[in-house]
Amino acid sequence: MLSRVAESLFWMSRYFERAENTARFLDVNFNLMLDLNGITSVDHPNYWSPLIMVMSDPGDFRAQYEEYTAQNVTDYLVFNRQNSSSIISSIGMARENARSIIESISSEMWEQLNNLYHYLQSVTPQQVHNDPYSFYKEIKNASHLFQGITDNTFSRNEGWDFVQIGKYLERADNSARLIDVKYQMLMPKRGQHLDLVKNSVDIIQWMAVLKSCSALEAFRKVYLSKIDPDNILRFLILDRAFPRSITFSICAAQEALWKISGSTTHRYVNNVDRLIGKMDAELSYTTVDDIHIRGVHDFLEEIQNGVIKIGEQLHLLYFAYHTPKIEPVDASEGLAFTGVAGGRANWSQSQQQQQQ
Amino acid sequence: MTRLFEHYDAGADRFFDEVMSKEGVPRAHYDKMMRRFTQLSVDDVRARKHLINLFFRNQGITFTVYGVEEGIERIFPFDLIPRIIPSQEWEKIERGLIQRITALNEFLSDIYHAQKILKDKVVPAELVLGSAHFRREFVGVRPPLGVYIHVTGSDLIRNTDGRYLVLEDNLRTPSGVSYMLQNRQAMKRAFPVLFDRYKVRPVDGYPQQLLRTLQEISPTQKSDPKVVVLTPGIYNSAYFEHSFLAQQMGVQLTEGRDLVVNNNKVYTRTTRGLQRVDVIYRRVDDDFLDPLVFRPDSKLGVAGLINAYRKGNVALANAIGTGVADDKVIYSFVPEIIKYYLGEEPILDNVETWLASNPKHLKYILENLDKLVVKSANESGGYGMLVGPHASQEERETFAELIVANPRNYIAQPTISLSRHPSFMGDGEIAPCHIDLRPYVLYGKSPSIAPGGLTRVALKRGSLVVNSSQGGGSKDTWVIDN
Repeated sequence: MLSRVAESLFWMSRYFERAENTARFLDVNFNLMLDLNGITSVDHPNYWSPLIMVMSDPGDFRAQYEEYTAQNVTDYLVFNRQNSSSIISSIGMARENARSIIESISSEMWEQLNNLYHYLQSVTPQQVHNDPYSFYKEIKNASHLFQGITDNTFSRNEGWDFVQIGKYLERADNSARLIDVKYQMLMPKRGQHLDLVKNSVDIIQWMAVLKSCSALEAFRKVYLSKIDPDNILRFLILDRAFPRSITFSICAAQEALWKISGSTTHRYVNNVDRLIGKMDAELSYTTVDDIHIRGVHDFLEEIQNGVIKIGEQLHLLYFAYHTPKIEPVDASEGLAFTGVAGGRANWSQSQQQQQQ
Repeated sequence: MTRLFEHYDAGADRFFDEVMSKEGVPRAHYDKMMRRFTQLSVDDVRARKHLINLFFRNQGITFTVYGVEEGIERIFPFDLIPRIIPSQEWEKIERGLIQRITALNEFLSDIYHAQKILKDKVVPAELVLGSAHFRREFVGVRPPLGVYIHVTGSDLIRNTDGRYLVLEDNLRTPSGVSYMLQNRQAMKRAFPVLFDRYKVRPVDGYPQQLLRTLQEISPTQKSDPKVVVLTPGIYNSAYFEHSFLAQQMGVQLTEGRDLVVNNNKVYTRTTRGLQRVDVIYRRVDDDFLDPLVFRPDSKLGVAGLINAYRKGNVALANAIGTGVADDKVIYSFVPEIIKYYLGEEPILDNVETWLASNPKHLKYILENLDKLVVKSANESGGYGMLVGPHASQEERETFAELIVANPRNYIAQPTISLSRHPSFMGDGEIAPCHIDLRPYVLYGKSPSIAPGGLTRVALKRGSLVVNSSQGGGSKDTWVIDN
């Protein structure tokens, strides 16, 4: 498979997953507003700023908007084209990547992605404001439909594995950020994690975290209704069966990476496989107590950094085109690639080509 | 009786109408089509048209319009009423084009080797050697099988008598063949019954034939030579076509950055290392192919590609430097070129052409600017031209200055009344619109033509410009066996 095609598959999948996660976070926040209405002021910046911290860059947000209101945050995370992680940007990038490999994916996959893109072009902020529920549901369903179509129409070869890696690395990263931010908000005092402030607002907030991962029902089946932060950490970080937990995501990404390279347990053939194997092993043998000893924030940050490192190595190994002399010395330079990056630089020349 | 054609005014006294004869009755080969359309209402046709547009949009069958900051994707407008060519007409087109392409290939081979035709002064040497598309770096380089122009698409028009004339040759990277294939798919969906009533020759074999042609020119002796398509990338207006053809042939679509040259051999960069490439169907212009030889700032090409090509380690389709023969000035010499190499009279005529570089012609051009179409010799896609009768006095004066400043760069032709064909307009009316025809010729071991081609139609009422970048659309083209 061409390196560029592999790279575009990876990023197509990754951007699509990012858009879905953004839709989830926003959706749950709107639900939260309904739950908390009357108990506390719901348009309070505290309820909206964390979304920016999870999904994007607060500095960039502040440069464009005055306040963290529902309307501003929605606008920034859904419609803002300058924000590279807004839903509209993410789907745009997913589509650009797909378009550059249109001959390699199934036409059904392309049609679905293309449909969502055209739908997003037609939606107005007012529509989302009037009926956020339907809008976010549309995005989530579109993503699920895309994954289902991919499952059923895309050959199980290397390309499929790159799609899986993109999806699960993004998911692990997004989940880690979400838990990190929410945990810090809800557990403000250092060293007091055993001393829970179990008021109803917190419980509702924790339930919201679970809901944004579609995890509330699955969680209840395991822990009944004991919504306490440790159980939630255990479930969202360490559960091996729930498809949106960090451990599950890392494990799924590892499986796909190993399929490509032929690595097995105790026998890795390259650096990506080593890093992901190490991460998987760590997650497999960690308990919630271990996480507390390390510190929840530090632990989650390490996961996020781990995902970045895996991305860098993946890039060098499979996407950097096997030409050692043009590989950047510093791996982070290499990450400027986002699949179609470079495409924009080519734009002006591409269009100079006259059509006969 | 006919609801749809009730108000159709063929204007057959001024133009050749493809469907209606001068007597105002449908020509025999259009009879069945007319009967089918009389059974349909405007709403029926609208519904079918809507269906087809949706099909095109969802498939991403779009092209990009230039001149705006970011490319805007548009659907190439499609007209539902098919153009029908009876087999005896087609046979003449086929013979004429094969004759023409064969002669042009001889011409290219000659000017890049012995240059006999220049020594015999049949074509003025300065016009060839001074052409922007003449690549002196390739003098003496023989491409596989001695073939330069593997994929071509000459534009044909019909004048007021219905005679087919060649308007221009496209010997570099002609586009549009994907529309020929997709239009056929769309028509089969929208009018299955009508399709059934005619014996329409299939065009679906084109991708296989293209692949065979490309494999035939492989410089390496492999049973299964590796072919790739080289595209400038997703921002190119014909990107859809590049990906479509790659997909239909089952070969990889590559960009410049996917290829690397090592030791004068070309490889693709894959997740499993480097893989050797034998043939490149390139849709990148000469100028951008190799930053080491042509434009050093090109990001679309492959460094070292030209050396690999010169060493005979990779084949390019089309070969480099073919643009010199589709130059609009050289065009005017094609009848002589055919006689010179083949000793035959041209089967298809040229459109009468005046060269601004010839002082007598120049005088005539400047005096008759209001009657002529003036074209820049090296531009394509409807850019850089003046349609005299439709231009303002001011535009004509500006153009006259351009011509005088650089006469080698301009030619003029009479404003031809292109034949017209009924087309379904947005307002529900059927109106006569000007059309042309681009058949596609493939040339590996021998030349062959897909029975059909792309009929482009000027969907703006009265407009003569059929280019997609200027508001043109297309029709399915049926070659039928009677």
